[in-house]
Amino acid sequence: MIAFNDVSYFFSKEIGVKDVSFEISHDEFAFLIGPTGSGKTTIMRLIYMDLMPDEGFVTVGGISSNKIKKRKIPMVRRKIGMVFQDYHLLSDRNIFENVALPLHMVGIRRDEVRERVMNMLNELDIEEKEKKKPFELSGGEQQRVCIARALVKEPEVILADEPTGNLDPVAAHDLIKLLENVNNEGTAVFMVSHNYNLIKNRGHRILEIQMGEIQNQ
Amino acid sequence: MIDKISFLLIEGFRNLWRHKLTASTSIFSVFLTLFLIGILIIVGQNSHYPIEYFRSKYKIEVFFNNDTSDAQEKIIIEKIRELPEVRSVTPITKKDAVRIFKDQFGEDVVKMLGYNPLPGSAVVNINKDSFEQVNLEPLIEEIQSLNGVDIVRYQGRLISRLERFYQMMINLLKISTGMILLVSIVVISNTIKLTIYTCRELIKTLQLLGATKMFIKVPFILEGIFQSIIGASLAFFTIFGLMKVGNHYLPQLVTLRIQLDLYFGIGLLIISVVIGFIGSYRAVSKFL
Repeated sequence: MIAFNDVSYFFSKEIGVKDVSFEISHDEFAFLIGPTGSGKTTIMRLIYMDLMPDEGFVTVGGISSNKIKKRKIPMVRRKIGMVFQDYHLLSDRNIFENVALPLHMVGIRRDEVRERVMNMLNELDIEEKEKKKPFELSGGEQQRVCIARALVKEPEVILADEPTGNLDPVAAHDLIKLLENVNNEGTAVFMVSHNYNLIKNRGHRILEIQMGEIQNQ
Repeated sequence: MIDKISFLLIEGFRNLWRHKLTASTSIFSVFLTLFLIGILIIVGQNSHYPIEYFRSKYKIEVFFNNDTSDAQEKIIIEKIRELPEVRSVTPITKKDAVRIFKDQFGEDVVKMLGYNPLPGSAVVNINKDSFEQVNLEPLIEEIQSLNGVDIVRYQGRLISRLERFYQMMINLLKISTGMILLVSIVVISNTIKLTIYTCRELIKTLQLLGATKMFIKVPFILEGIFQSIIGASLAFFTIFGLMKVGNHYLPQLVTLRIQLDLYFGIGLLIISVVIGFIGSYRAVSKFL
């Protein structure tokens, strides 16, 4: 699903990542762990092609970073469901509109949009929040909305960048359980975290990054 | 595809409400600039009334040679009538000249002298409904060159001054309109740029979710166009109201009625759409 092939990326004054190679298969759940500034977010940005490698190449869902044209990058991002630490929900739209957005982007019919969004909100137990604005929800609920928005377009992989960063331990645990359920239904999940205690002993692969280099796979 | 288009259209409308503060600033600036442009257009459209009045007073007097017969005079008058700048020609025969002399001086010149010394003549009126500067010199030369014409008299210096002034005013109106149009595009563009700047998080999120540039741009461009249309409508109705008031009071002062045609409204609408499109496209392109 995701493959890094000797990927290096250099910021103007420092190394982002160096000679990174790994693969995430289509039904895998993997964690990426490392301290602040180690290159976790750079890896994520390289996956959703916000950054392009200076050396090597990244492949996502069969599309390679060294062959893709800039205008085709949105097509790669549509294969990915993104979950962010700070949710990135649109504050001037209600929960329904936030979750429906990825479907409108691909031109899905209005009645089908309604059906799919409501199903997703039901699955995540937030259907009664449909008309609320994001700021009216708790952190855990907002993160659920974020996951609903990521899942509603039926992505091939979920990229979660420190999704538990703003949650209390119980909500963080619930969120990982939720992502595991998503993975059990066949969607690959790649989650970044710096909280080792939260992800250990879950039976998933853990990639460790230090100073821009993968130490342990 | 239709669902996507309708979604983008609705988003454009909703953005007006979401960004009400910046939208109202933008609408106000469009209103102000289009109001000024509208007033200039009306002044331009109605400026022909005074100039037409003056042109109707332009008088070219053509005097024929004394030995020219009435039949020859008729032929010359026909030739003058065919000239494109000429609106009408009023012939004054030698007999008419005697009568006019008698009316003005109370004496019968034929009885006094025993013959008619007055030549036949014609009064030439020129076309008055042109926005272009009327230059009488070539016309005068053409009439003068006709066989049988003795003297051509006209108020040359006064006419050329009036025409120069009129032309200067029309050019000034065109330049001012162009400059205001340019300023309004920059103002709208900057206002929308401000709106977009406050939405940079939204744009980033949309990009991360897989939105194409067009999907992000279109609602902003539509928002700009809608703002301009609202501003233009406000400007149109304000001008229309002012015109009504003006037409109510003006006839008491001068014999002038301000005219406002359908094309004015359509023109204002087209200008607003163009301003809105260019302004918002320019602004949104800076961020994407």
